[in-house]
Amino acid sequence: MQTSTLMLVVLALVALAYVMGRKRSVQLAQPLGGIKNLHSLPNYYGLMAAVWTALPALVLLLLWVGLENTVITNAVIASLPDRLAEQSEGQLSLTLSKVRNIANGVMLGDADPALAQAAEVLTRLQASSQAGKIGLTLALAVLGVVVGWVLTKPKMRARPQFERVLKGALLLCSMIAIFTTLGIILSVLFESIRFFQAIPITEFIFGTQWSPQIAIRADQVGSSGAFGAIPLFVGTLLIATIALLVAVPIGLMSAIYLSEYATHKVRNVIKPLLEVLAGIPTVVYGFFAALTMGPFIRDVFEGIGFSGVSAESALAAGLVMGIMIIPFVSSLSDDVINAVPNSLRDGSYGLGATKSETIRQVVFPAALPGIMGGILLAASRAIGETMIVVMAAGLAANLTANPLEAVTTVTVQIATLLVGDQEFNSPKTLAAFALGLMLFFTTLMLNIVALAIVKRFREQYD
Amino acid sequence: MTLSNQYREQKADSVTTGTPSEPDQHAITDWSGTVGDALIDDPRMSTRNVNVFYADNQAIHDVSLDIGKNEVLAMIGPSGCGKSTFLRTLNRMNDSIDICRVEGDIVLDGDNIYDKHMDVVALRAKVGMVFQKPNPFPKSIYDNVAYGPRIHGLVSRRAELDEVVETALRKAGLWDEAKDRLDKPATGLSGGQQQRLCIARTIAISPEVILMDEPCSALDPIATARIEELIAELSENYTIAIVTHSMQQAARVSHRTAYFHLGKLIEVGATDKIFTSPDHKLTEDYITGRFG
Repeated sequence: MQTSTLMLVVLALVALAYVMGRKRSVQLAQPLGGIKNLHSLPNYYGLMAAVWTALPALVLLLLWVGLENTVITNAVIASLPDRLAEQSEGQLSLTLSKVRNIANGVMLGDADPALAQAAEVLTRLQASSQAGKIGLTLALAVLGVVVGWVLTKPKMRARPQFERVLKGALLLCSMIAIFTTLGIILSVLFESIRFFQAIPITEFIFGTQWSPQIAIRADQVGSSGAFGAIPLFVGTLLIATIALLVAVPIGLMSAIYLSEYATHKVRNVIKPLLEVLAGIPTVVYGFFAALTMGPFIRDVFEGIGFSGVSAESALAAGLVMGIMIIPFVSSLSDDVINAVPNSLRDGSYGLGATKSETIRQVVFPAALPGIMGGILLAASRAIGETMIVVMAAGLAANLTANPLEAVTTVTVQIATLLVGDQEFNSPKTLAAFALGLMLFFTTLMLNIVALAIVKRFREQYD
Repeated sequence: MTLSNQYREQKADSVTTGTPSEPDQHAITDWSGTVGDALIDDPRMSTRNVNVFYADNQAIHDVSLDIGKNEVLAMIGPSGCGKSTFLRTLNRMNDSIDICRVEGDIVLDGDNIYDKHMDVVALRAKVGMVFQKPNPFPKSIYDNVAYGPRIHGLVSRRAELDEVVETALRKAGLWDEAKDRLDKPATGLSGGQQQRLCIARTIAISPEVILMDEPCSALDPIATARIEELIAELSENYTIAIVTHSMQQAARVSHRTAYFHLGKLIEVGATDKIFTSPDHKLTEDYITGRFG
């Protein structure tokens, strides 16, 4: 029986337990004079019976599936003769995959007898594990059905019990997000540490040269590589700043127009149209930046006397990215401005303030935390954006503050470092993780600082 | 103070004792125009034939009413009778409602406030408003009171502003409680204190008329008593029009009372008279608690 079939059977048992628990509670209530004499509604008895059936069985199944491989592999290694068991890690994994192949019948013929024996051990263990898994899970599920049946009594507090189960489930869900984040951070961290063993961390953080091309094999001709991250971070910052300079004023002003000045009709047309901007794929923005905006900017600036302006420039990428993130600022700001109570506006108008005075001095400060939230979201979008930069700003890691030059960003470099055939031990590949870690760290700091600012200047209205 | 207290007690008595159980023989029952003294000599503000429409619904029918100088005018009536709407027409707070249309003349200092040359901002500086729910701005106590003087440029130096703020807070009876926490958020004050702050905010721009839209409906009895005391004190310097749901409150604080019913001004008169011997049947029914 496959694990998926097993799951289906367990689910069927759960459904059975629900129906039985429900039915039994109703039956038990009959002689007492109807379900009003039960502690909880029949539904809850059914649900609790289902929980009894599902929870232990599924937990066991999950643990079994999770640990099965490790335990069996260790047992197989233990069964190997010493000469095979005491090898280097790489050799051992090669041996193990041979064993697996033999066990699966892929590699017949001249097998090492020791390996053949190990394969036999493997097959046997797998079979018994499978049998144990199915047997124990089914037994637990059936036991659960019985327990659910027995526990169903009119006095049983099924409703609060089920409430506790729900609470646990909700807690688990929130934990999943946290643990995933933790897992991502750790995996990036470990790869970064490997990178910093090859390249000193000071060189990475303070170096001003970025050219990650290094020789992969000893006999290859190639540069030695330079891993100074400063040009990348400066490039990221430059483009993100340009993007925010475009998006924050325009987004904010349009939010104020939409929420305070526009009539309902106008608002209902403009708001969805603005939000369409957020739905355009970034590749399309990339086309626009590379084919229209870049050459346009070059022509304009050459027209007014600049020379040597590149068609790939930070300005082109930044401007287009700014347009892309306008909806993040405008839509969120619009929502929070609308959430400011009208009584505050009335109070201000009642004192003879004009509309713009009211907005500047009362509405805007009250909405500031939410507006900052929108800007932060836009900023992290700008920092994380890759596609537009690849297409419009180029790959050259120039250390410059001139928005007319080609620059590159952290995310673009991560993408290029991991594209194509890579050797996973080379600093070139590992650099991507170090960059990722730095980027994560930077945005985290940005968030913390912004939240602190918001807390400091927040004007609470309720 | 003593005087106004006496005044209040006397009227409060008359409300409790003077309950007319028998319907008046000569009570007016039909509608043929406002009963009583709606118009007075030398008013601060006067309204003539005011009609207010929300889209096609007429909310106010042909109201003519004067508000005297240093007078507290109470407007009472059952919910939806248009008293708040009428109050809000007095400083054009209804302007922000698109579908609202006002007809008739409302005159303040010889100017029709609905004249197209009228500057709403200047008008609202002369006719301040206190709202039902305390609505302090999410700023410090000081900045709340200083808001009006700042936007109207009433003061040029910080010291003057300090003085204006202090005077306003003193007049609103909040100075002693607030003087040590002027830089703290106004939202940290209690409901009653917040409402007094809103009154201080209004008097900081020295209006001529103060409109109060059920200023005590969100407050507990002690805070309410405090505000009522304040209204009596303020009437020495300001003209006050107050909308209230509480008849006792109208009886305690006002000099004249106007009774609204279904958008019509039924009866106006000295508060004593309205609460003891109203001329109109509807007024009598309302103040004796037969409906509303």
